[in-house]
This record gives sequence, C-alpha cells and structure tokens, in this order.
Amino acid sequence: MRSMGRIIRSGERVALSHYHLDPAQWSDMLCVPGATLPLISCWADDARAYVLLLEGDRPILASTVVEDRRYLAPSSRFAGAEWGERVSYDLYGVEAMEARGNGTPALDEGGWTSTWPLSSRPGPASGGLRPLGGSHFLRPEQTGLSGPLDLSFEVLKGKVRAVDVCAGGAHRGVVSRLLGKTPEEAMVLVARMTAGGFVAHPLAFARAVAQARGQVPGPGVRDVWMILLEIERMSLHLFDMARTARGMDAELLATHCDHAREAIAQACAEQGVSRRLMDTVNCGGFREGLEIVPLAQAVHAAMQPSLAALEELHRVFASRLNGFAVLDVRLAERFAVGGVTGRASGRSMDMRRRETGMRLEALRATGSSSGDARARDGLRLAEIRDSLKLMERILGSIGLDDDEPAPDSTDEGIGVAEGARGDVWHWVRLKNGRIENLHVRDPGVSVLPVLGAMLQGCPMERVPAALGSIGLSPAGIAL
Amino acid sequence: MKGLRQTGPLSLLYAFMDARRWCPSSEEVLPRRERPIGLYVLETGGCEGCFMEIESLKGSAFALEQAGFVCVSDPADADWLLLTGAVTRVCAEMVDRVWRAMPPGRSLIAVGACAVDGGPFPASYATLGGLQALTPVRRAIPGCPPAPQEILRALQELARI
Ligand code: SF4
Repeated sequence: MRSMGRIIRSGERVALSHYHLDPAQWSDMLCVPGATLPLISCWADDARAYVLLLEGDRPILASTVVEDRRYLAPSSRFAGAEWGERVSYDLYGVEAMEARGNGTPALDEGGWTSTWPLSSRPGPASGGLRPLGGSHFLRPEQTGLSGPLDLSFEVLKGKVRAVDVCAGGAHRGVVSRLLGKTPEEAMVLVARMTAGGFVAHPLAFARAVAQARGQVPGPGVRDVWMILLEIERMSLHLFDMARTARGMDAELLATHCDHAREAIAQACAEQGVSRRLMDTVNCGGFREGLEIVPLAQAVHAAMQPSLAALEELHRVFASRLNGFAVLDVRLAERFAVGGVTGRASGRSMDMRRRETGMRLEALRATGSSSGDARARDGLRLAEIRDSLKLMERILGSIGLDDDEPAPDSTDEGIGVAEGARGDVWHWVRLKNGRIENLHVRDPGVSVLPVLGAMLQGCPMERVPAALGSIGLSPAGIAL
Repeated sequence: MKGLRQTGPLSLLYAFMDARRWCPSSEEVLPRRERPIGLYVLETGGCEGCFMEIESLKGSAFALEQAGFVCVSDPADADWLLLTGAVTRVCAEMVDRVWRAMPPGRSLIAVGACAVDGGPFPASYATLGGLQALTPVRRAIPGCPPAPQEILRALQELARI
C-alpha cells in the first residue's frame, strides 16, 4: 500500500534524509490517503519548496521545484504548513497554490527596504507599515513576551475567539546574514538567534553541519553538549515558571524561581563561561577551556537545594493554573507541538530519547497530561529533576560511550536539539565549505497554529499570562 | 536553616523566611530622591538576551527598587526608556510611539550591543542597526548581553550624572 513515507522515498535521494520529488510525486504526497506524517516545518525559496516531516522519531525531508514562483501548497495537506508558506512569500515572493488560510503577511508588515528581499528578483519597497486585520490588538510591547509580536484577536464578550500573529517586529533577517558564511563564521550569529536557545540553536546547527560534513562528534563532545543543554533547560524552565507565577500573583514562587535561576547563572559565571552559556557550543565541539565537570558540579550544587521548595510552592499555587491555556492532545499531535507544551498535553515526543549516548534511565518525567498551565509547570519541575539526574549519570561515565559510525558526506545535514521550549531543527546545505542554504525551525513556530485554540475563551487581560506559560520567543519565531 | 524539607503549611513558612533572607541589599544606595526613577523596558528585535537579563534584574534576586528605580508598565509613568534589540524597521514606529508617550525630562538608554549599533544585526532590509540610526546614542550599557549586576551598576552611574 502506498504511504506518505513510501511516496517520498520514491523520489531521488540527495542526502541522508532528503528526497527530491517531481511535481507529480509532490502532488501524490499531498493527496495520498491514509496517515499524515507529522510536519516539523515547511519553507520555500526561489528554487524549491520543502517539507520536513517526522517518520517515527526520524526526520525525512521532501522537496520539489518551484516553477514560475509557484508550488502546490503543503498546507493543502499539512495544516501547520501555513506559517511557513506565508514566511516564504514574504521573503521570496513564491506563492503556495491552493493554500489554506487568508494569506496575510507573517513577517512583512511594510517598512522593509524591498519586498521579497531574499528573492533573486526583489520588488520595490512597499512603503509604510500596513495596518493589521482583526478587531482587537495587543500591541507588541503589551504581550508580556520578551520580544515584539503583533497579535490581533477576534473577541466576543471580552473573551478571545481567534488569534492572528504577525512577527515582523522581531524579524532581523538572520538567515540572509548567514548565507555565504562558513559554519564557523556563522556560529556567532546562530548563538544569538534567541535567548530561548543559546545552547539549543547552536547545538542543532552543529549537528546539522557535522552530518553535512560526514562527521560524528565523539562521545566526549556529545556528553558536554548534553550537559550544556540540561543547564539551559533548568534555567529557562525557571524563567518561564517565574513569569507564569507572576501572571498569577504567585510572587513567592516567582521569587524562588528567580533565585534558583540566578544561582545557576552565577555558577556558570564563576566557572568562566557566560551566565546563559552563550558561545559555549561550536561546530567541532565546545569552547576552548570549558571545564565541563566542575561546571556541571557547580550548577548541580546550586540548583539541587532549591528543588524541594519549588515543588512545594508549585503545589500550593498550582490550582490557580487549572484549566488555563489548555492544549488538546489531538491538536498537539496534529501540529507536532513539542517541548513542555506538547508533552504536558500528552504528546510524548522528546528528541533526547533518540540521541546516541543518552542515559535514558534519567528521563523519567511524567505528570498530568491535562494540557493546561498547571501541567506545564508541573512538567517543568519534573524535567528539572531529570536534568539533575541526567547530569549525575553523565558525570558518572563521561565520554565513555561507543562511537557511532559517521554518515557519508553529502554537504547537507539535518540537526535537532531538544531545547527547553521544544525541538529546535536546523537544515543546512554547504557548497565549497560555505552555507549555500539554511532553514531554522524554532519550537515556537509549532505553537502558532494552536495558539487560537489555547487562548480561546481567555479574557483579554489574561492573554499575557497565558503566553508566558507557553514560553514563546518572538526572536526565535521570526529570526 | 537547611533547605526546605518539610511539607505543608510549615514549608510555606520556610519559603517566606527564605525569600526574606534573600532580600537583596543594594551595594550602593543612591542619594535619596523624592521618588524613584521610572524605567520602561522595550525590546525592538534582538535575540531577547538583553531583555531577559533586565527581566532578571526586575525580579527578586536584585535590589532594583532599593537602588532607587521602579519598573513601570505605562510609558506615561516612565523617566527612562531602556531599549534593547537592534531596532527593526517595523519596531521604529513603536519606539517613536512609546517615546512620545513619556513625560518631559525623559531619557533614552541603549542596553546591549544591538541597541547601540545593531551589534550582530547591523542595518539590513529589516533592521535599522540600533538606535544610532535614529538618534545620537549618549547613554549606553555595553555587553552581549550585559549581566543584571552590570546593568544595575550602569543605571546607578547614570543616575548620578
Ligand atoms: S546585544 Fe547580544 S544579547 Fe543583547 S539582544 Fe543583541 S545579540 Fe542578544
């Protein structure tokens, strides 16, 4: 029987997990009856349109040519593809035919120096800012998020019915700045894609580059990367919990989160790395001079004593989060929502589980799958406990695991890192050692299509608290 | 007191005591003002690193209020605008709107490399490349990102001028 995966594999294999489909195969993929593979990301440029899918826990990438600036819309099959289609239109002027949605801009709110700025044939500047649709707005500075995001709402009796997002305010043209650079040159900027992933983004990028070059990091590097990622996870979980707590007037819990997060930052600084671990991951491994064992021990010692109090305070205040900003598991599955937001609703995907050398016995976090803010915070705490356990296990056998075989070098690679806010994906294609093409998917993107459902019925004045509990980064979404 | 072990109401009491123990004292106390300096923080398209460090500074691990500052949520109540991020072209209008909403006597402070000249995000089709594209930057706190302690120290310095 034909399945989506089989149709994709009938295309020409051009890299480890990438298949070129002709337009007929592309159309077949979008129309084939039966199960739909979860979509991680969709994007297009002047030349090709891409969908990155998950088959089990493995990525599979399909692409097809863009002809006359058009391609058959993946959103005709994958509902979550709409955002990527809108972004691609804004950046390249390529149009998704038979697309879902209203086709409003995702990034281009006007004000840029050209339209379709990354296209080989950019258009003239469109002039001033365009007004957004919708009857109610939250100005970008009023969302309670760390970056500018335009949100417009349909509201009935003071409660949200539908949401539209435009992320132009946070768009810095990161991808265009990276093209033509060597991966090593690019890393400085990759490390500054979002403070929601100072480790996770560089790590996903480094893994993609390693795959493109036919390299596999040794067990020592792998273990260092895992520890850095766990430190970042604890720190960001505390940040998101503090923000959620403040949104609910649980100042005591927020205070304890603040202090625990600051203790981690201080421990990092005292060990000679940046407070938030910026610039610690590089393409071949990690920053020279980084002493991972004392760093891990110092962070563990800083965090461990706070955990019991945090758990107790969470129990005290948790009822305030009951039923707040709920994500239904069916939506989480359908839109491949990952991270705490997905797992707290019952979608159990955690990309750490497929990593070679992972000490799986440390990853035990379970909890409520009610999908609300309470479940998310409960899971954050359980994951902090797991992070400490994982660090202990890694320290007990650091660098001892077997090497994995290296893939063939195809100049193309896909890398993933399970960051604190979800799975971060990077796809990179190299040419003569430089970045010829690149795509980045921050986990916040997978939340956008379910945001309306999560906020439905939420009073407008509580939207910032809801957004805080989801943990979105406009910088990561917009790039 | 050891870490919080008990559960139930007693643990809450310990949590309160812990929070009080942490009440940070500002290293240097500014000369008394009639009222604290109102800070409004605006992110304009960076990586959010600087903004999140300011958020840490606003939290309970630092003594921002004891140092003579208060964070406000309405620009009309603000004395100083702390701006982070590379100032995307879309955000320029927001910066202008917030600035105009502030009362006379206002000050503008660029926090982090992005806010001064774009830092890693210099001018492009989407970014202006920091505040310098809009106005001479007279007050800046360098770093990528500056630590909360550095931001606080710089704010205290600026308050003395
Ligand atoms: S200065 Fe550095 S940390 Fe601050 S917003 Fe810019 S890139 Fe991020």
